[in-house]
Amino acid sequence: MSEDNDIEMIAAEYALGCLDGEERAAVAARRLLDPALNTSIEQWERRLAPLNATIAPVEPPAHLFARVMARIGETAQDDRASNVILLQRRLRNWRMAAVGAGALAACLMIALGLRETAGPSGPRNFVAVMQKDAVSPAFIVSVDLDTRALTIRAVAAGAQPGKSYQLWLVDQSLGAPKSLGLLRPEGVTSGPRLTAYEPAVIENATYAVSLEPENGSPTGAPTGPVLFAGKLIPTDF
Amino acid sequence: MPGDAISLHDAIARVAAKDRSAFEILYRATSAKLYGVILRILRNKAVADDVLQDVYVSIWERAGSFDPTRGSPLGWMATIARNRALDEIRKKKTVATEDIESIAEPAAEFEHPLDKTERREDLAKLMRCLSGLEPGRREIILLAYCQGATREALATKFATPAATIKSWLRRSLMQLKVCLES
Repeated sequence: MSEDNDIEMIAAEYALGCLDGEERAAVAARRLLDPALNTSIEQWERRLAPLNATIAPVEPPAHLFARVMARIGETAQDDRASNVILLQRRLRNWRMAAVGAGALAACLMIALGLRETAGPSGPRNFVAVMQKDAVSPAFIVSVDLDTRALTIRAVAAGAQPGKSYQLWLVDQSLGAPKSLGLLRPEGVTSGPRLTAYEPAVIENATYAVSLEPENGSPTGAPTGPVLFAGKLIPTDF
Repeated sequence: MPGDAISLHDAIARVAAKDRSAFEILYRATSAKLYGVILRILRNKAVADDVLQDVYVSIWERAGSFDPTRGSPLGWMATIARNRALDEIRKKKTVATEDIESIAEPAAEFEHPLDKTERREDLAKLMRCLSGLEPGRREIILLAYCQGATREALATKFATPAATIKSWLRRSLMQLKVCLES
């Protein structure tokens, strides 16, 4: 993929949706750094969009609207206080569950409450394998969503003389890619705690590694080639 | 139509200014369409429910970046929905081939009444260009777009090497581009 510089075709395949997970994540990261690719993707998205008219509408469950409204209420507040918001969201979910369940409400509150104190539901540990091709993983990024700890293990990256690997968090909601620091070419790097980011962003963002000058990107944005990119997948279901 | 007082363009412009009532109008007018798009790719209601919520939160946050000179409001929203659904399904293992339905000719048109003006022509043209492809090629394009089938899934379904599927797809896409620009 990284050797493939036919931007037009990469853009077309991305917009069509036929890329596998690794390829898709790599293109998603690259489009944020490469305006020509981004423009080409947008053109292909517009070319193919009329096909959506052929897909039958399906009425979504009625309760989803209230959840969306609750979430956009949150975004108006300080969304950096994400722990508080996560807690508020859970509280609201319990309440919504309780209201709907009538006589069962009390039991449900207790059941959910117990589960919540035992630990939040959903996967908490994630890993992203950063690789250039299917057989040679270079870095393995792991995230513990509870502690927001970020750990990066170098597998077969190899030191590049006079250069450093720099890790980036890439997500449309963040605007420009956010640096997560330099990576050691061997062994384990403890990254910064991801406390500044919402769990949904941490889970859904692309993690990308670029090759930068020895002391890291001088501009605060990636300046060198993006060598690896990947998305997190849960390791505990 | 009653209650059809504002267009999707107006609704998005007001949502960009954080108008919650306009957002509700937008949601009511478009959520069935986007849910259809998402469900077609994910084929799992519980996951689709979560993705639909994320998509509308994105629309709320990104409405200011919608550029009316570059495509329709519904096309813009459907693209956000598709990309989020594809990202979600690619987190899992590749879709099992037996999950991929065969696509009949997409004759039925489910155009949204608020978004039909100039769109009908675009769809007609795209359909004309698609019918210029060989029948098998047209089907793989539609399977990839509507159901998010990967090259590998298509390779299995059509008992054809993935590299061949890749070159079919690329050639068909280029043919479409030339046809659409003619």
